[in-house]
Amino acid sequence: MSLAPDTFAFVADLVRRRSAIRLEAGKEYLVESRLLPLARERGCAGVDAFVREVRATNREADLVRVVEALATHETSWFRDQTPFEALRTQVLPDVLHRRGPAARVRVWSAACSSGQEPYSVAMVAAETLPPGAGVEILATDLSARILEHARAGTYSQLEVNRGLPAPMIVRHMVRAGAQWQVAPALRSVVTFKQHNLLDPAPPGPFDLVLLRNVLIYFDLPTKQAILRRVRQVMAPGGVLVLGAAETTIGVDDAWQRVPAGRGSVYTLAVPPGAAPPAGAPPAAVRRPPASPFARPAVTPSMPRAAGAYVPSRGASL
Amino acid sequence: MSAPAVIGADQVMAVAQDVFVAMVDGEETTLGPWYGDVPAPAEPLAAWVDVHGPWSGRAVLVTELATARDLARAMLRLDDDAPVDAEDLVDAFGEIANVVGGNLKSLLPDGGTLGLPQVADAPPAAGVAASPEAELRLSWRGRPLVVAVHARPDTSSAPTGPTTHPDNPHLEGDTPR
Amino acid sequence: MRALVIDDSRTMRRIVASTLRPLGFEPYEAEHGAAALALLESGLEIDLACVDWNMPVMDGLTFVSTVRERPEWRSMTLMMVTTESEQSQIVRALAAGAHEYLIKPFTADAVRDKLALLGLLPLDGAA
Repeated sequence: MSLAPDTFAFVADLVRRRSAIRLEAGKEYLVESRLLPLARERGCAGVDAFVREVRATNREADLVRVVEALATHETSWFRDQTPFEALRTQVLPDVLHRRGPAARVRVWSAACSSGQEPYSVAMVAAETLPPGAGVEILATDLSARILEHARAGTYSQLEVNRGLPAPMIVRHMVRAGAQWQVAPALRSVVTFKQHNLLDPAPPGPFDLVLLRNVLIYFDLPTKQAILRRVRQVMAPGGVLVLGAAETTIGVDDAWQRVPAGRGSVYTLAVPPGAAPPAGAPPAAVRRPPASPFARPAVTPSMPRAAGAYVPSRGASL
Repeated sequence: MSAPAVIGADQVMAVAQDVFVAMVDGEETTLGPWYGDVPAPAEPLAAWVDVHGPWSGRAVLVTELATARDLARAMLRLDDDAPVDAEDLVDAFGEIANVVGGNLKSLLPDGGTLGLPQVADAPPAAGVAASPEAELRLSWRGRPLVVAVHARPDTSSAPTGPTTHPDNPHLEGDTPR
Repeated sequence: MRALVIDDSRTMRRIVASTLRPLGFEPYEAEHGAAALALLESGLEIDLACVDWNMPVMDGLTFVSTVRERPEWRSMTLMMVTTESEQSQIVRALAAGAHEYLIKPFTADAVRDKLALLGLLPLDGAA
């Protein structure tokens, strides 16, 4: 039962370096319980033996699995808020501005897990886009099993409690026995597909790509390859959102960081194949990036009550 | 009326599982089904809440006193041998019944109002049908815990013949809905 | 920041209070809506109230409506924390003036998520 100290130290260090998640002393039980299934699967006598083997062989796939097993699978709705605030106040208005009021906004939610992220995007789009405009969301994950869950759009009470604003529960969820289900209108704009980030990206172009808390699992060359593939499928002016603890800086310099809400998002300095806009200053001149997105930091002066999601008293439902 | 169809053992299990994960044990809860007969508790403790509305009835939890004491310790994050006073014991077990009952109420097609939780060594026999609409035998830390849903005879679909009038002073009017 | 936890179950009050404390709140407790109003009348200033629905003496919905009628309490954030879990009940609570709605049972993470939505937490990102 008790984990060898150097097993714990190795795992804690690996997880901290890869995911910025800190496993404090006292979390040995967590390492034990999360890694035991992997150890069993490998035919190892226990977690110590399994970790010894992982260290000896030092294979990237094993390391990723260990980090994945320890990283708590956060499945909150509207996780971190920043991307959704950026979507509402910047990405959607920007697309409508460029492509007109009947634009179809295309979104890729990569590593979508059980679906809270793409459905959160669908909710924001439903409440922000004018009639006539639409959104198409492609949501992908490696796991066929988790996609099954995501596609059903059915969530337990405990899952619904995780960060889904009450007005959104009222507007976009329906009761399904002891569970809740995403309303059919929202489910119809999300397409789920199995996809491995190590393979070519799904066909774009996308106005928004959400690739959150997934690069942390990979080593540097793999991160660079993934970001390179994402570049190929960005629409002109498209926006990439990473996890709050992730960045392209020092990984892939084709991206530039743009402040959004209380965090940041990323755009391509020069969209692939796109000529500089007419009247653009010569390339030699340092000019603001091509995307109108990259205005000076947008600081939505949000009232204490978190903007759009919280109704003022007695708001109509 | 439709309670038997709506509140099945599966639904009770789903609700109980959520309650134990969130309030008692965390993700590694030991709550599971109990296989076989449940031995009659030596020192029983029961907690229940009544639902009033188009369908009226009661959700009841029954377990051993010692098990309820451990439940209270788990909810309050106390050590295994920490003393639990009678008030905490009753309050904690009652709150579990309250949360289970409230979630079961949401399964009723026409809703209803929830009474306040009550705790005693047994629920009063009057007021609800003796045999449950749904009964779920659970095992928590290897010890039995039974969750049962009873209908009030006058709203149950089962004909029960002439009944003594279960005078329930808490019976409320139609839920404004 | 100060929070008032209003619930007739002292177990639940302790659970909610112990969830709020590490998030930077100083929790106060009341066992029903009327006791909570008395605390507010006596000058207790709070940023957040976590309000159970079914309580003796004064239920949570009545408490919320009462607080909303008082302009001097307008800055107070009201979050229902209740086992009432029908969609129609959420609608009623929001219409009465509640800002958020957390259904029992809930995890500590769920409390944190809701407070983040309400702008009552520094956004902590992935930390």
